[in-house]
Amino acid sequence: MKTRALVFFLGLLSVAFAQDPQRDPKRLPVNDKKVPAGVEDMLAIEAALKSVLPPARNATVCLELGQGSGSGVIISADGLILTAAHVSGGVAKDITAILADGRKVKCESLGLNSETDSAMVKILDKGPFPFVELDKSDFTRLGDWVFSLGHSGGYDKDRGAGVRLGRLVKVADSTLQSDCTLIGGDSGGPLFDLAGRLIGIHSRVGQRLGENMHVPIREFVRHWDDLAAGKFIGEGPFAEKPKKGTGFLGIGTEDSGEGKIRVTKIGRESPAENAGIKVGDFIVAIDGKKLKDKEAMQKYLKDKAADEKITILLLREGKDKEIILRLGAR
Amino acid sequence: MLTVCMSSFTQGYETLESEYRSNGSLMHGLLERPKQSLFEFSAVIYSGREEIAYGIVVEETGYVISKASEVIEADDLKMRIGATQYEPVQIVATDSAWDVCLLKTKATGLKVAHFADDSQVDQGTWVVTNGATTRRERWPQLGIISANAREIRAEGGAVLGIEINEGKSGLEIGEVPEKSGAYRAGLRKGDKIIKIADKKISKRDDVADIMKDRRVGEKISVVYLRNGKQVRVEVELMGRADTFGAQQSRNDTMSGDYSKRRSGFPRVLQHDVQGNRVTVGGPLLDLEGRCIGMNIARANRAESFAIPLEELRDVISRLLTQAMQNKADATDAPR
Repeated sequence: MKTRALVFFLGLLSVAFAQDPQRDPKRLPVNDKKVPAGVEDMLAIEAALKSVLPPARNATVCLELGQGSGSGVIISADGLILTAAHVSGGVAKDITAILADGRKVKCESLGLNSETDSAMVKILDKGPFPFVELDKSDFTRLGDWVFSLGHSGGYDKDRGAGVRLGRLVKVADSTLQSDCTLIGGDSGGPLFDLAGRLIGIHSRVGQRLGENMHVPIREFVRHWDDLAAGKFIGEGPFAEKPKKGTGFLGIGTEDSGEGKIRVTKIGRESPAENAGIKVGDFIVAIDGKKLKDKEAMQKYLKDKAADEKITILLLREGKDKEIILRLGAR
Repeated sequence: MLTVCMSSFTQGYETLESEYRSNGSLMHGLLERPKQSLFEFSAVIYSGREEIAYGIVVEETGYVISKASEVIEADDLKMRIGATQYEPVQIVATDSAWDVCLLKTKATGLKVAHFADDSQVDQGTWVVTNGATTRRERWPQLGIISANAREIRAEGGAVLGIEINEGKSGLEIGEVPEKSGAYRAGLRKGDKIIKIADKKISKRDDVADIMKDRRVGEKISVVYLRNGKQVRVEVELMGRADTFGAQQSRNDTMSGDYSKRRSGFPRVLQHDVQGNRVTVGGPLLDLEGRCIGMNIARANRAESFAIPLEELRDVISRLLTQAMQNKADATDAPR
């Protein structure tokens, strides 16, 4: 009898270790009820939401690039942003973030996962910036009360980021679904638990109002280093890999002996001209890779795509000069 | 807990049954007081047998406010308040700035809306509006206050509702949509514009300057020339999108059935209740069932607007005064 009880106890403990929500010290008691027991429980949800809403809102940003806009959320004082891959659209893209107070800051996209719709963006301006904590321990459970923020339809200072409250209605490994209604412009915005921790990033919606999909934070954690290192992960469908060989620099060169590549021609209005490369400059290296001759340079550039950023080390009048430019389309 | 974990391993995902979701039947079961309020002082408005909008009872003698743009063109108006159906229903006054109309039916002893003290509610506060209606019950819909209270400027600005052509002999009016303020004031195609807001007009840019920063519902004087005679009229401004129509944006196409008129409001509360075009016009309630505003527009999938209580009180008293005035005029008029 005693032995059986002990076995049962151990079994329960091992399950509890993996899944028991009680281990989360910040967990709201109402989250352990299948439905709030009464108005008092509803008011507990409301009170929790109100207490964590201001810092959550301060870290929610609008991301503008090209014609459209999406949302994102700052997760470190130096300005690391999590967003959706279909918002950042690629690696090393120029993006403007509008902070909650209306301040605009320059950003560049880091890596993305085109299969799960997750991406990182870095603010280039100097911090500190308001940020939120992640649910790194993956405490979130089906049925938990959650809220979403986002700049629906674009940034609107008078309105602020709209907040929507709901429950987690479906939990899969790489997708969370909530009944917090999302719309265009919310993409890339944050989903929070009632402790104010970031649990997901808005990705897409279905036909019905209750179908709102988010990328769970565990998906970011899984690929953290690659995302931070600016890698393009996966083959879509949320972002299209830049096509190799479509990049255009716009220079003519010759091997001038002594292992140097001399610029002989500059295309009018080309990326090279716009970046200030001149006839007579010597090209020493691209992206830190030393180039021994014209052929090596051409081979390196052949793998580059339109819109990709490269760093060229030049020798001009005997002095080193570094130029960063974005390739055009061939 | 154990069964949930097991199912998650076998199916690859776990799902919350619909009755447990934020607008599921079990949540609605917690909303007894708002449900009672909806039953007692919110009206369901019908055109024939079709449900077209909701309303709020403001006088026990059969006065109800509703969303003007959803009701004004409908015929065979009827209302249901509590379990009783009322007909006929007349529109007796309208406030176009707020898109609210006052309806009247023959009734006595109706329960008037229970208003809260104010609408000073923070973001994140629970709110309840009308959901579906059955013969015996009013289903609530639950949401929260979701953004700053603010003005919603008219989509495309406020307009007179005329096309203007620059001709040799001055500015001539082109098309005038029938629902525009200009048409209602009597302006027609071919009329020549002399003055707007008491300023002489010689080119189209003059009009644009005068119209800048105007609001929906504002009245502006227009002097025009027809058959050699100058006539002066007052034109009530409408939103450009409401007058000339607007192209659907990508967000509109994913928003389902949103309100025809959803901009040009002096101040609104924003909430995230998941309604549709028909569930608008009734009260915005707190969990106690008190009215803190009037649900006035389903703007899109994620945003709905309500008139705050303070402004709503003014709208109601203006509409009631206007209705009494109209009634008195009708009685005084020679037969």
